[in-house]
Formats: sequence, C-alpha cells, structure tokens
Amino acid sequence: MSEIISAPQDTPYAEPLGVYVHVPFCASTCDFCAFYQTTPTADGVDRFLQGIANEAALVSWSRPVTTVFWGGGTPGLLAPDDIRRLGAILQPRLGGRPVEWTVEMAPASVTAARLAALKEIGVTRISMGAQSFQPALLDGLGRQHTREQIFRAYERIRTADFASVNLDLMFALPGQDEAAWLADLNEALALAPDHLSTYCLTFEEDTKLWVKLSKGQVKLDVEHEARLYETTWARLEAAGYAQYEVSNFARPGHACLHNLNTWRMHEWIGLGPSAASQHAGWRGANVSDLDQWLAQITRGERLSEDRVALTPALLVEDALIFGVRMNAGVDLAALRRRFPRAPWAAVANETALLTEAGLAGITDGCLRLTPRGRLLADSVGTRLMQAFSEEIST
Amino acid sequence: MDVLHTRNFCIIAHVDHGKTTLSDRLLEYTNTVAQRVLTAQHLDAMDLEKERGITIKSHPVTMLYTAKDMQVYRLNLMDTPGHVDFSYEVSRSLAACEGALLLIDAAQGVEAQTVANAHLAFGQNLKVIPVINKIDLPSANLELCAKQLEDILTISAEEAILASGKSGIGIQDILEAVVQRVPPPRWADYPQTRALVFDSLYDSYRGVIAYIRVFSGVIKAGDMMMLMSNGQKSEVKEVGVFMPKMTKISLLEPGAVGYIVTNVKDTADIKTGDTITIASKPAQDPLPGYKEVRPMVFCGLYPLESNDYEKLKAALGRLRLNDAAFLYSSESSIALGFGFRCGFLGLLHMEIIQERIRREHDVEIISTYPSVVYHVKPHGKPEIDVDNPVNLPDPGTIEYISEPTIKASIHIPNDSMGDILALVMEKRGSVEHTDTLDANRVMLSCVLPLNEILVDFNDRLKSITHGYGSMDYELGAYSVSDLVKMDIMINGDPVDAFSSIVHREKAEGKGRVLCEKLAEIIPPQMFKVAIQAAIGGKVIARDNVKEMRKDVTAKCYGGDISRKRKLLDKQKEGKKKMKMIGKVNIPPDTFIQILKN
Repeated sequence: MSEIISAPQDTPYAEPLGVYVHVPFCASTCDFCAFYQTTPTADGVDRFLQGIANEAALVSWSRPVTTVFWGGGTPGLLAPDDIRRLGAILQPRLGGRPVEWTVEMAPASVTAARLAALKEIGVTRISMGAQSFQPALLDGLGRQHTREQIFRAYERIRTADFASVNLDLMFALPGQDEAAWLADLNEALALAPDHLSTYCLTFEEDTKLWVKLSKGQVKLDVEHEARLYETTWARLEAAGYAQYEVSNFARPGHACLHNLNTWRMHEWIGLGPSAASQHAGWRGANVSDLDQWLAQITRGERLSEDRVALTPALLVEDALIFGVRMNAGVDLAALRRRFPRAPWAAVANETALLTEAGLAGITDGCLRLTPRGRLLADSVGTRLMQAFSEEIST
Repeated sequence: MDVLHTRNFCIIAHVDHGKTTLSDRLLEYTNTVAQRVLTAQHLDAMDLEKERGITIKSHPVTMLYTAKDMQVYRLNLMDTPGHVDFSYEVSRSLAACEGALLLIDAAQGVEAQTVANAHLAFGQNLKVIPVINKIDLPSANLELCAKQLEDILTISAEEAILASGKSGIGIQDILEAVVQRVPPPRWADYPQTRALVFDSLYDSYRGVIAYIRVFSGVIKAGDMMMLMSNGQKSEVKEVGVFMPKMTKISLLEPGAVGYIVTNVKDTADIKTGDTITIASKPAQDPLPGYKEVRPMVFCGLYPLESNDYEKLKAALGRLRLNDAAFLYSSESSIALGFGFRCGFLGLLHMEIIQERIRREHDVEIISTYPSVVYHVKPHGKPEIDVDNPVNLPDPGTIEYISEPTIKASIHIPNDSMGDILALVMEKRGSVEHTDTLDANRVMLSCVLPLNEILVDFNDRLKSITHGYGSMDYELGAYSVSDLVKMDIMINGDPVDAFSSIVHREKAEGKGRVLCEKLAEIIPPQMFKVAIQAAIGGKVIARDNVKEMRKDVTAKCYGGDISRKRKLLDKQKEGKKKMKMIGKVNIPPDTFIQILKN
C-alpha cells in the first residue's frame, strides 16, 4: 500500500481521495436494481444520519477529499433538512472544498427545495436516472416516474445551475429495438446534458428482471446488445460527447472525476450500509442492512464484507483490468514504475496477442482497447488476470 | 446314462424367430422347469439380453425326456449366442452338439441370420432339423417357407416340423425328431478324456466355472485337469450339470454337458474352444477348431466425470472377469483426460459392454469413434497391428495399410435394391452376387470394409428398407486400401480424440463435417480460431469458430469492483478446468458433445 501512496512522481498532485455515501432509501424497487435499498421512514433516516456521523468518526481522514459521491438508493429522496444534516456531518471531514460533489436523483423527487439544499452544501453535479423517455419501457423497468417528470426535473436542475448534469439511460430493454433506443438517445441529447451514462440492461441476480429471464419471459440477445453499443457510441460521438469509459460520455471537462479515480485504483472512503471502500490498506464493503450496519458502527466495526488487504499485486492487476475499460486506457509505463515487480513480461505477451487480433493497441505507452476490444473488456480482463496468475505460479 | 441315450443339440434362428419361447416350451414339456417358475425367456439371464431379445452368453440345460419308444433320453440343449460378433462362440457351442433345430418364422421366412447360422451348422456336420415356427400366425406362409428351405438352404421341405412355441404346437414332434434324427454323441471311444470348453463365467466365491461338453472319458472332482492349448493344470473342485440350475453330480461321462469348478482365477486362462484333458493320462490330439479370439473393434472409453475414473476401472475389471474376449488398457487423451482403450469382438459386443458399464456399474461414459485393427507394413519391417489412429507410424515410412473386410449377406425387399446398392457403393463395398429369395426379396452377397459398417450402416439399411432389411456377416480377408490418418486441428494443434484412419476419398467429407461441428460447438472466441482437418499436414477442410461479439460489464463502480473481481476470478478458474488446445480454452464437455452424436 505504501507503494501507491508514496508514489508522488506519478502525479504532480497529492493522491486523490474520494468519499462515497450510500443513501439506502427508495420509494420503490426497480425491476433491474440489485443495490441495497429500503423504504424510508422518519426514524430510519434519523438513525441512518446518526450512523454516518458515527462511521465518519471511525475513519482516519488523512488528507483533503477530492471528490464526493452520494449514491443509492435515492439520495435525492432525503428531505432538504436531512440533506443539510448529511452535508454538515461530512463537511468537517473534507479538508476544504471538493473538486466535484455528485448526488444521484430520481426524476420523481427533484424539487426546487431539495436542489437549493444541495447547492447550499456545495454539491456540484447532479446525476439523474432518466433510464428511458418511453412510458412503456419505463413501466417495464418498474420505474415510478413519467416522461413529463423527467423534463420537469431536468428543467429544475438546470435552473438551479449546477456545474455539471448527467442523465442515466438504459438500453437493450425488453421490447426496445434499435430505433426506439435511438429515439431515447435523441430525446436525451435534445436536453443537452453535460454527461451521459448509457447502461446496457444487466440481469442481476435477486432482481425482478432476473426472474423474468430465468422464466424465459425475456431473452438475452448478445448480438442485439453489441449492435446497440455500437449505435450508442457512434451517435454520441457525432453529438460531441466523448466516450471515456464503456458506458460513460461527456462534453469536454465534464467526465466524472470520482469514477475516473475509482477506475484508476485510487482511494475512496465509503460510508453507509453496503458502501464499498478502498482506503488505508483495505478494500471491503459495509454490511447491506441498515440495522446490522448501525450495530457494527456502534461496535466500531467497518468493512465486514469482502474484506481484502490491498497488496501492490492486487492493485496493479485491478488497475489494468478496470483501466482498460477507459478510453484513455492504462498508462503501462507509469503503472510499471509504481509496481515494478508485477509480471510485466506476461502482460506484454498478452497485449501483443490482443494487438495482433485488433482488440487493443499501445499508443504513447498506454494500453487502449479498440472499439471491438472494448465490447470484450471482461474477456480481456480475465485474460490479463490469467497472465498474472500464470506468471506467479511459474 | 449311456451315450446311446444322450442327444446334444442347439437351436439356431434369426433374431425374433422365437428361439427362446420354443426353448421354454421344451423345458416345460420335459418338466425340467415347473411351469409356475418358468418366467418368460428362462434362458436369457441378463436383463440386457431380455430387453434386446438376444442371447449373449450360452446357457446350456439338461432335460430328461421319455420318448415314444418308452426309453428315457438325456437331451442337452445348448442355447447359442445369436449375433455375428459372437460367431466364434456360436461355432464352439455348435461344436458341442450333434444336431441343430433351425427355426424359421412362418411369417418372415428365411432371413440373413437363418442362412448364416444354417451354414455354420452344416460346417460343423450337424444334423439340421428345420422347424417352421409361429405357424398359428394369420400371416404364416408355409408354402413360401417350404420353398425357401429347398431353394436357399437345400433342405428337403418334408423334413420340416410345423410348430408354435407360443401355443405349444409340435413340441413333442420336435423332441421325437431330436431323439430319432440327431446322432448320439460322437468321438466317445477316443482313448483319453477330452472335453470342449464352450463358455466360462467368473463366480466371486468359486472362481472360474468352465462350461464343458465331455466327448470321451470322465471328469470328476479331485481330477488334475490340463488345458491342451497351454498345458496349464488345475485341480477340478466340483463337477455338475444344468438342471437348469447348476447341480453338483459325481462325474461327467462322455456326451455330458455340464460345468467344472476349477482353481483358475481368470476366465482368460480357460479360453472358449480349448480342450480339457486329464493331466495323468493326457490326450494326444485336441478337439478341432480352437482359435484365439482377437478383438476386432476398438474404441476409447472415458468417464464423463473425471473422478469416476477409478469406478470405471473397477467396472471394466469386473466385466472382463466374465468376458475373456473383452480387452482394455489405460490410455489418456488431451481432449478427454484419462480413460481406457477397449477392444471388442464387434459392434454389438461394444454396445453391450458400454451399456452394462452404464447400467450395472452406474458410470457415465463417453466413447471415441470406433476403429478396426489395421495391418500396417512399414518399409523394411514386418507388419504391425494398429487399433488406434494415434499409433499410426509416419505416412512416409508406410509401405501399405490393409484393413479387415467382411462378407455380408444382406436381405432386402426388391424395391430398395437401388438405394441399397448405392449405400454399399458409398461404403466402398462391392456386390459379389445377387440371389432371389422370393417374389419380393433378394439377397445380396457383398464384401465391405469392416470400418465402413461400424457407425451407421445397419441404421441406414433399416431406414432404407423400412425395417424389412436384415444383414449378417462374417469376417473376410484383409485387403490393402488407400487409407490415411486424418487429424483435426484447433489453431494448428491436433485434437487426439478426433484423429481417425479413413479412406483417402472419404477424408474430405468426413473432415468437413467434423470441422463444422466443432466450429459450432466451441463457444465464440476473442481470437480467430481455425478448425482444420488435415492429412499429414495438408489441410483438406477448414472452418472458423464464431468470434465473440460482446462480453463487457455495463456498470463497474466502486462497489462493483469486488463483485466484478469475484466474477472474473470465477471465469479464470473456469478456464483452468478447460482444455487448452491451440491456445484456445475449450470447455471440457465440447468433445463429449461431439462424440455423443
């Protein structure tokens, strides 16, 4: 761990630090969502906020926080006063004004009063889950908002004047053909957001959609999905949104810094039930249950789930397999300086194979996937992991 | 009981012509088995035999019959295996008899196996008594049967007994004919003891039990017996007869059919066809006709689950104890892991062993393509036997390869003649001559490479003739042929389980089919993967595995990293279990899926 923290020669700045707060409340459960969430009650919110305060007190805040991200659940469901309370809990820990502060909102709960509270505590970026503009598709996802609510919410967010606004969209929805998806994309583009996240529908276990899939009520069509990816990439590029990750596009200067830092395997502190952290030598997640999380915090415990020590070997492997998802790719030379003992020969071997097959290329010392390679990023990741483990075992 | 009151006979017939039912009637009529304990098909012991309606192992039985002359005769009925795979066993069972009942289904007439079996019986100089069975069937055609008997088998129709095993018609006539027409046991006055081994079984308590027909002399418990093929000696621990259960008696006299319990531990040491004599007073000449039986068809058998290897090994060991004709030895394959190379008498034998492994020993197995035994002549060296394509020497060093052929007699309806001729041609066969069986049917005498009938010949014969065609064959000579080894390669690496020895002209077609199948079954790959069929490095067919189109997680944020890692880790572990051929990770069941169809 000391290796990554004490590697100032890589960047002229101090190592970035993120804060992620998981706000676990949702008005209802969407059919595709596998994130931890629960129905909000006044008492629940109260105990949650107290828990965040207690958890924040357990963390060693070693340096200024670069980015903040409130996700969920639906952070935008908090009442204006609760937003202020949560902001007030965090502010003393941040060591100044973060460069970027994102809050996720759902169209149905975007109000001027909430936006004002967010603005007041220093939020710079709103990410709204529109998902689709077509009522039938929204209904199919179990979303509780309407097309009109998206427009109204977007209008309010723009009026409140945040530095950056993102819209989340989903594609390859059951019953959505290419034309329908392009229609959705165009509606989103017409709003001219600063950032767009377009997610291919994923069937997560423990979701209603998964059940439909296993019952054969919906079907997977990989070829269709692949085509929609390509359509998306072409359409957004033409509209001036640069792709910087598999599912993320931004106008210049609007890429989400918090996420970029995550993919670059920098550190972040996660607070709240189910929140993941990568900080101070450990990666892990809090328990996905409000009450259990509260009980653990009371006992002074955090990150009880999937807890692993951050070794240089793990971090370099992850920097590679998650890094290749980004269009900027992975700066192999810089990574090699950070982790000189990693199995670079095996990696070079693998990248040569990928390059030969037209799936990747190396420019300016950066390993970048081609569009075809990006569609296979998981397979590439698996092969890179294999290269690592084979080298280690020989 | 003396020799003059002993008759040894067997029943030979085409499949389903009613052999077992008729045997049961004879047992019943002679009170050998009380009617209430006579389950259907008493003589076929294995479930598999009952199910398939075929006899695999011989089951002799001794009956006592009071004839019309008021004398009691000892009638030994030998049940014979009914399939060409076991023709040597059939010939030994026949050699133990002096007469044979030739059964003909009154509705079906003479069939391929009827002819083949009749010729075997004539070859052993047996008195053949024709029995037209199932005469009470509405479709019975006695006239036709009589004509076929005379025309095809050159047996006078007047000799035929009309019977129905099902209704018990003609049973006494048959028993009388056995007494009157079958001669008493031959060679009874040879000066020393000689007995023919016609089968053996392994009993886990008593060791090997040999089924024998005594020709001359006597054998009793305490005798030191000797096998004439190899001089091996063993003490006789018990002798007995089949009534039909094994029944211990004091001694076996000339003409007797019975069993001996020996000290021998392995059935392979008492081979069918061998002659037993008494060590202290050995015979000079063995009984005629003994030969070593060699497997003709080989294939690899592999457990579907690799942890079942030991279980499969134990199963093969136990089957081998009762079946000296079945051979196995361990082998390993890149594609299929650890398994066994197994040798069989023929296709049916192979099917039966495989089925018994699955059913009686509960091991799921997969078999590689069957292969025959080729004679390969390298330059300047003697011929070698090759039963596994993997062992074929470098083509440059080979002078010639010869393959076993069969002489097949194929009975078909006239109207399928054209299609069957085309099938025979396709299988590299030739028709030697054609005989008319009746107004609607012909018999083709063909020579075919054994290799060509291994896979689908019989199925296609049945389908072309709508089930009316039948075939029997005997092994013919080896014949030099333009044979080549065809390899299937994935990205240039050969897949051992798919190598085969094929006729040069058939290689391309077979290669193309295999390439297509593999390309279809191997999951889409990130990289271009070529599947090729090649003869000695020259590619004759190729295909490409589908390229993978999309494999990417949509959302991968902080909380997803641990999850995603686990998933990728799992995929990585999964790949470890895959077979790595030509730098391609191939799921372990890919080859199994192809071999399955």
